[in-house]
Amino acid sequence: MLSYILRRILSTLPVMGIVALFVFSLLYIAPGDPAAVIAGDQASPADVERIRQSLGLDRPFLVQFSSWLWDILHGNLGTSIFTNLPVAKMIAQRIEPTLSLMAITLVLTILVAVPLGVLAAWKAGSWIDRTIMAFAVFAFSLPVFVVGYVLAYVFALQFEWLPVQGYTPLSNGVWPWFQNLILPALALGSVYIALIARITRASMLEVLQQDYVRTARAKGLDQRSILFIHALKNAAVPIVTVIGIGIALLIGGAVVTESVFAIPGLGRLTIDAILRRDYPVIQGIVLLFSFLYVLVNLMVDVTYTLVDPRIRY
Amino acid sequence: MDRRTLLKGFAGVGSLAATGGLSMPALSQGAAARTLRFVPQANLANFDPIWGTQYVVRNAAAMVWDTLYGVDATLQPQRQMIESEETSDDGLVWTFRLRPGLKFHDGEPVLSKDVVASLTRWSARDPMGLMLKALQNELVAVDDRTFKWSLKAPYPKMLLALGKNSTPIAFIMPERLAQTDPFKQIPDYIGSGPMKFAKSEWVPGAKAVFEKFADYAPRQEKASWLAGGKQMLIDRIEWVVIPDPATAAAALQNGEVDWWENPITDLVPSLKKNRNINVDIADPLGNIGSFRMNHLHPPFNDVKARRAVLTALSQEDYMRALVGDEPALWKPLPGFFTPDTPLYSEAGGEILKGKRDLTAAKKLLAESGYSGQPVTCLVAQDQPITKAFGDVTADLLKQMGMNVDFVATDWGTVGSRRAQKTPPGQGGWQVFHTWHAGADCVNPAVYNAVRGTGDKAWFGWPTSEAVEKEVTAWFGAKNLDEEKAAVGRLNKAALEDVVYAPTGFFLSYTAWRKNVSGITKGPLPFFWGVSKTA
Amino acid sequence: MTVMETNTVRIPPGLVVAPQLPDLLSPVKIRRGVLGFLRNHPTVAIGGALLICLVLVGIFAPYLWTVDPTAIAPAKRTRLPSADYWFGTDLLGRDIYSRVIYGARVSLTVGLSVAVLASLAGLAIGLVSGFVRWADGIIMRFMDGLMSIPPILLAVALMALTRASVGNVILAITVAEIPRVSRLVRSVVLSLREQPYVDAATASGTRTPMIILRHILPNTLAPMLVQATYICASAMIVESILSFIGAGTPPTIPSWGNIMAEGRALWQVKPYIVFFPAAFLSVTVLAVNLLGDGLRDALDPRMAKSL
Repeated sequence: MLSYILRRILSTLPVMGIVALFVFSLLYIAPGDPAAVIAGDQASPADVERIRQSLGLDRPFLVQFSSWLWDILHGNLGTSIFTNLPVAKMIAQRIEPTLSLMAITLVLTILVAVPLGVLAAWKAGSWIDRTIMAFAVFAFSLPVFVVGYVLAYVFALQFEWLPVQGYTPLSNGVWPWFQNLILPALALGSVYIALIARITRASMLEVLQQDYVRTARAKGLDQRSILFIHALKNAAVPIVTVIGIGIALLIGGAVVTESVFAIPGLGRLTIDAILRRDYPVIQGIVLLFSFLYVLVNLMVDVTYTLVDPRIRY
Repeated sequence: MDRRTLLKGFAGVGSLAATGGLSMPALSQGAAARTLRFVPQANLANFDPIWGTQYVVRNAAAMVWDTLYGVDATLQPQRQMIESEETSDDGLVWTFRLRPGLKFHDGEPVLSKDVVASLTRWSARDPMGLMLKALQNELVAVDDRTFKWSLKAPYPKMLLALGKNSTPIAFIMPERLAQTDPFKQIPDYIGSGPMKFAKSEWVPGAKAVFEKFADYAPRQEKASWLAGGKQMLIDRIEWVVIPDPATAAAALQNGEVDWWENPITDLVPSLKKNRNINVDIADPLGNIGSFRMNHLHPPFNDVKARRAVLTALSQEDYMRALVGDEPALWKPLPGFFTPDTPLYSEAGGEILKGKRDLTAAKKLLAESGYSGQPVTCLVAQDQPITKAFGDVTADLLKQMGMNVDFVATDWGTVGSRRAQKTPPGQGGWQVFHTWHAGADCVNPAVYNAVRGTGDKAWFGWPTSEAVEKEVTAWFGAKNLDEEKAAVGRLNKAALEDVVYAPTGFFLSYTAWRKNVSGITKGPLPFFWGVSKTA
Repeated sequence: MTVMETNTVRIPPGLVVAPQLPDLLSPVKIRRGVLGFLRNHPTVAIGGALLICLVLVGIFAPYLWTVDPTAIAPAKRTRLPSADYWFGTDLLGRDIYSRVIYGARVSLTVGLSVAVLASLAGLAIGLVSGFVRWADGIIMRFMDGLMSIPPILLAVALMALTRASVGNVILAITVAEIPRVSRLVRSVVLSLREQPYVDAATASGTRTPMIILRHILPNTLAPMLVQATYICASAMIVESILSFIGAGTPPTIPSWGNIMAEGRALWQVKPYIVFFPAAFLSVTVLAVNLLGDGLRDALDPRMAKSL
């Protein structure tokens, strides 16, 4: 088990390396120039060129890449071209809102989607099943920003129950923190709820047709214990898998959600950095995101062994 | 109505409100009332007002750093950090004396050596500073409070240069910061202005915090723009960055923020309906829209093609696309200088007036030899102004029979690509849009974009000897009448050679909650004199 | 890593709905006739009909009482829906009805192209990866790398790299989708290779291209078809998100994402600007999803039975 995890971690290193090289070269050949953005509208072309030189952006590709890689290996993500702040600090400032949003979304999703999916599978073919599945297909078809605006309009502007925008750090209290994240989490989670409800239903259906479940039913075991103890446990593997895959979906959705709800998280930092060509920041964030993704999927693989004793490493 | 009465009228609205605010003792109120939450026009992404010259940096810097002089609401430079100044009879040697008791935020006194270092760094980047630097014999500290600037030739616009509000402003920093290379960022943000920058709370892209500087010694005069006593009636200013206008509007309506610098026009009616919100014109000097053509490459290297654009261009289309149905927010601008300022001129502006003549434009274009080559139009989508202009231009050029190559991109890319002098097929361009703050278009000294110095000119590289001749004439002008005459001829020449195509003059709104008072109209948001009740 | 090769549960059923064993993939019984098939699978009928309608709308956009969708008229901006402007006008006075109708072209083009391109590329990569052992590791690491970058970020970065055009939007979304298809194909290939009859074919000296043609392709087709519909739906949503962020279809081309992006600042006061394109987009994505669900049920009788 331990050696398996170690091997997995080692095998992610080349993945991270590929991501790093890929992102770096992508940005290197991208048009657009941070120096021009910094210099502003009144600057002369000569000023722009001098700023470019002082930022080291006129050096050849390999020199820039290797010096960046060297710093990374020494735990230094570099300094933002614009703010002059260390990238690690900027990420640290922004990571709490994003992780909070993702965590709440994930919890909310699982709390809503799994029972819905189980219910739909249990009542397969009934109107309950059809309603749930119709809702799932519908939620799956709405872009996240449309859901976000509708939620903000109804619950923040019309009823004034919840704040429209912003983020309160967890250190200011759990309720203020949670309050600010309810609408964004619902908006971001809608697609995800639909997805997981469908998968839960599908894998539950599959399990419910297995012989042992039929036997259990025939033996007259309590329906609820069949559903939640025997069936759900066996249906858990694909559900957990999708939660892992969904992390990438969640990060992408967070970018949009954060800009709709003005949450100062990593998503907005990324968009801002891409638009301004703040190379060190973009590279730092993408590395972090892919690391997060790899990490979550590692956790997912480990979870398999917990939920499904048939899988052994 | 002359511009002084007009501007005073504008300023009056603010000061009336300010007296109301002044009578309220700020300290006796709760913490909420001492914190002002402000939504700026853009994210404060860097904070060195000499190195980066975006307007948003300037606006924040004006709180943190003080200036030697400051322009007031009548555009006249007034003493700010300076107690007195003297000019030698030949106009070559300026001697300045600082006010006593000025302190930086780290507690150190403001000394002449700080000023000398700051002016040296500034003059390497600013257009007027560069002129001064070219004339400079020496800039030295005489004693702790006196410094001397001696020149090779007289420079009558000295006080304007030191007090102007166009970027970069001549801010005074401690010597150790001002010694930074002007093309590198300063490592710390220490000034002597009325607010301190809370660097530890700065989250670029989200939040910037400023705290009242207790040891600031404001002047005794009433505040007027960058001049007068910068009295802070609030203890803490939080800049909350909200990139989405709909979200910003909702936040203002819900009372989550107090002041939104630039609400988009279409949301203003709904803000006005809210009993708790005031909406007013932000800056009477407004902005001038610009349709910039590349003078180096066909078709716009031919003046006929450029004049064809002026003949067909409808400023009303550009302005309404941008500001919507509010007629009070825009004016046609048959010239280049800011309306209602002394040097404004419409000389030669007939080509932009009256019914738009598409047929004549097509004829001119044909005479220029244009025959369907693609015209590369760089349009930044992340700026509402350039985005609206770009859409109108695409339609205009299409109607003129041009083959538009519409490059939808972001401001960063436009910023770098517009510097390319290569032909459009090889990374260059033919058209881009931008806008100039009205405050930067009041005279030729601060107005880079109207100059016709060819290769050395601003992007588009127009060559116009006639324009340059009048710029020289203006610098040498001895009185306002001579200045006006020179700028009138300049305006005509610039339209004849079509240095660029002005797309109109537009104003923007600012909106604040009614428990905030003392907001002044001006080219930047002034926080002194602003107060808030709970 | 042996688990990933043998343990078929790695394929999430709801997302990919890959039937795992060939015996479950009994071909659609054509002899019952198309009508019979549609009667048995109403979601396919509904989804398909909706989609055909939308395709027709896209094709015949110029004849559906539309005007030039790019003609601006700043004097007539933000008009409410009326007899003259069925869906109202936008911030530049353009007719939203015409823009929405023409917008169908972009969304459908993007959706269908991405689905086809990503499927073909994913199929090729998945086959190579499933059959060529030495290449498998490298390809899959690279795919892992691509997959670990959130698709929207990847697309935004790719769009920053090139200039905005529908072709580049398609390319950017396709690149982001390829890893998913190739993983699916690879896992189907790996599970099929374990099957006795494929083993037998290999042992009896049948050449790889023949095995692919005879055994692998027919069995990959069904899950891929289902997967392709989901990719199509997600591509349409990603296109609208990219346009919404300002990194998508060029603004000179009316697309649903663009119309929404331009109207989004006004959603409080002029909700109709966002409403009409949002409704069209949702219905289109819904139609594709219904089609996908229907196909999945039809092609996977085990699931269909349980409905």
